[in-house]
Amino acid sequence: MRNYIIKRFIYSIIIAWGILTVTFILLRVGPSSAVDRYILNFAAKGQNVESVKQAIEARYGLDKPLYEQYFLYMGNLLQGNWGWSLSTSMPVMDLIASHWIYSFQLILLATIFAIFVGVGLGIISAVKQNTKFDYTISVLSFIGISIPGFWLGLMLIMVFAVQFGVFKTYYDTSYPVWSLENLRQLILPVITLGTGELAGYVRYTRSSMLDNLRKEFVTTARAKGLPEHLVIGKHVLSNAVLPLVTIIMFDLGSVVFGGAYLTEIVFGIPGLGRVSFSAIFANDYPVVVAITLIGTFLVLIINLATDILYTYLDPRIRYD
Amino acid sequence: MKILKISCFAFMCLLLVSTFSGCSPSSAPVSLQVKGTFIEGEVAGGEAETLNWILAADASSFAYAGLTMETLASYDNKFNIVLRCLARDIEVSSDGLVYTITIRDDLKWSDNLPVTAEDYVYTLKNLMFSDWLNYNYKDDWMEDVGGKKVFVIPEVINPTTFTITRQTVQPEFIYTLYDLMPYPKHIAVKYEGDVEKFTQAKEFNELSYTGNLGPYKFKEWLKNDKFVLERNPEFFLGKENGAPYFEQYVIKVLGTSAVMQAALEAGDITQCGIEPQNVAKFKKLDRINVYTIPTRGYNIIGYNQRSNGWEGLRKKEVRQAISMAIDKDTIVKKIYLGFAEPAYSFIPSSSPWYSDETVLKLGVTPLNDKKKAIEMLKAAGYEYMESGGRKVLLDKTGKQVKLLLVTTPGSEIVESMSLLVKQELADIGIEVEVKWVQWSTLLRQYMMNRVPASNQEPRYNNGPEAVSEEPWDLTLMGHNTDLLAPSGSAVFFASDGGLNSFGFFNSEVDNLFKRIKSKEGLDKEMRRKMYGDLARLISEEQPVDFLVFTRANVGFQKNVKGIEPGINMGYNSYMWCFE
Repeated sequence: MRNYIIKRFIYSIIIAWGILTVTFILLRVGPSSAVDRYILNFAAKGQNVESVKQAIEARYGLDKPLYEQYFLYMGNLLQGNWGWSLSTSMPVMDLIASHWIYSFQLILLATIFAIFVGVGLGIISAVKQNTKFDYTISVLSFIGISIPGFWLGLMLIMVFAVQFGVFKTYYDTSYPVWSLENLRQLILPVITLGTGELAGYVRYTRSSMLDNLRKEFVTTARAKGLPEHLVIGKHVLSNAVLPLVTIIMFDLGSVVFGGAYLTEIVFGIPGLGRVSFSAIFANDYPVVVAITLIGTFLVLIINLATDILYTYLDPRIRYD
Repeated sequence: MKILKISCFAFMCLLLVSTFSGCSPSSAPVSLQVKGTFIEGEVAGGEAETLNWILAADASSFAYAGLTMETLASYDNKFNIVLRCLARDIEVSSDGLVYTITIRDDLKWSDNLPVTAEDYVYTLKNLMFSDWLNYNYKDDWMEDVGGKKVFVIPEVINPTTFTITRQTVQPEFIYTLYDLMPYPKHIAVKYEGDVEKFTQAKEFNELSYTGNLGPYKFKEWLKNDKFVLERNPEFFLGKENGAPYFEQYVIKVLGTSAVMQAALEAGDITQCGIEPQNVAKFKKLDRINVYTIPTRGYNIIGYNQRSNGWEGLRKKEVRQAISMAIDKDTIVKKIYLGFAEPAYSFIPSSSPWYSDETVLKLGVTPLNDKKKAIEMLKAAGYEYMESGGRKVLLDKTGKQVKLLLVTTPGSEIVESMSLLVKQELADIGIEVEVKWVQWSTLLRQYMMNRVPASNQEPRYNNGPEAVSEEPWDLTLMGHNTDLLAPSGSAVFFASDGGLNSFGFFNSEVDNLFKRIKSKEGLDKEMRRKMYGDLARLISEEQPVDFLVFTRANVGFQKNVKGIEPGINMGYNSYMWCFE
């Protein structure tokens, strides 16, 4: 197992390096330049656009040959220097260090919310199959899957912040991260981000539970006179949970890479999603590359964690 | 009893003063008025890039830094010059070559050292004009002498006075001077010559040097979230009146304009821009004031007069006919919902140089006339044929005229205007195909040009023979103009203009731009006349169809007092206060 983890970790580094290199090259050879969006600004002030472009590129070393920029970047990266953000004028490392917590707390809480509520409702729905409760949960979960998070977030703001004034219309970074006020203001963003996942988990859990409920070992367990909560909790759920883990971990990877950023935009949460969104539009190469690298690593680590988790959930699975 | 009466009288006076004084400079005790946090909403994407403003390429960076540092002077809504760091207005020598600048003697850096003329001259000579720093707006401080570009010459006269000497006259150079801000020489010398260290200097990135130069002091900047400033009790303009009156000034970045406007409605922010379609709703709200103000922005349809555009566009009469067919009032009323005004040249009616009598008002009644446009096209040598019950314009080879309009996606307004142009030109027999391309593609493949089969680097204007990589006929885009010095628009319309992608070359226009920037322009009346002539000529020549000048709508919580709505509404923002 240890050898397997080490091997996977080395593979992860190689994959991350490959993705980093491709991202670096694509950003540089693409048609956009960090200067493009200022052109009319300069022009309106009667500036020589070409000389300004050259000046900015010279200042940030973007005028050097691509291979030179690449080796310089890689060299700095190995020394822990992630570069200087062109669009925010600060070290990339500091930028990420000051923003990651906002994404992390949102993703963590939304995932916990989605797993507990989604899996819980899925179990009940399966146990109470074809009842009014089951139908209601099924309809609600289809709605939850279908609603775009962006729209849901805006509606929640309009109703609970503007109409009823229960929450602020935006996320306020004045509150300490570890405070009740912060937890309270995360309610709407967590619902927004978690609803889609939650609804999906309801469907997957229900389906997986129903598959197992029909199996012979369940009949045997019941015939042996085991209490129903032990049949469901110990025998059915432990077997139904394996496919769920794959889905949950896969979702976690998607959320890290894309899903959370829409919620961050709607609620004004200054997380890494917004940082990367702004950096892409500003052609801020160092930030885009750094965040791609982090995202890649996270997904690879999540995949590795999933594989390891399998061995605990199903002792039959071995990687040796 | 007497003491009681005096006390009551004093109390009543105090009450009256505090009730009626608002935020006037001579208002009542400061302690009654300094309160609250002013939160300005801003949509993501508009955030400043750096507080080290000399490196900035974007307008927001200057605006952010400007809250902590005043320039030499500003102007009010009527374009009257308002002195800031200047002790008196800039003196210009009679030959228009020497500018004498005298700053106040009470300006201080944060370490209590005085701000001197030496700091200003150092900022110019050693920073802005240096080779190592690559200041983006160098051109503002350069002049063409004998075909060579040289810097103006700054010189210290005494601790509060310095001069700038030019070799050529440029009457509008004074507006560049008014915007000047200094760097502290004693700090900047530590980083001089090393662009990396200068870029990363903590003092400059946290504005910790600004002393008493601005109404606010830097407190915190969380990127993509908020820029927080706190009141500067030592602000040099607040000595007499206790300004500014907000404890804190915050610029809050919000993800979308919908959320930003919801935040204003809920009272979570104090001020933000409002989109035209929401103005009516906000005007009905009791606690919000909405002000509509002119802006510097305008929209154009650019005509490609280079050899890879339709040849008809190289004729003035054809350009006029097309402009005549596009109804500007419809754009104002239906697309901008009334929050715009028709444009006829690059000088808006809000500019002091605007002359209503001289411009040719194409696109508005009576010069919004499709029949007349068709007649003009016929008179220019083009014929029509009937096809499917419609008149179709034919080019010189007998084929239907089909024009390609290239523009960028993502804006509902641009999309509506593109479709309107398509409809309007269909009515005069011209088929328009709209092509949406990304901004960078628009610039590189359509706006940049070079002479075919040459070694030229693509630029936005490589001369009359140059053409873009991809052919195009029309483009829809937004421009800005400088209201006080509109001659900056020469970049678009002069033959040597760095952004004259349209391929418009007219010696009369070139000459007028040159004359405005010459000794002749020192006489304001003469300059006004020349601007009038230029606006007439440009509106007749129609190098582009000037569509509309836009107006902005800004919403404030009603408890903010002291606002003077107008073109430069923020000029007195340090005097605003909460009721």
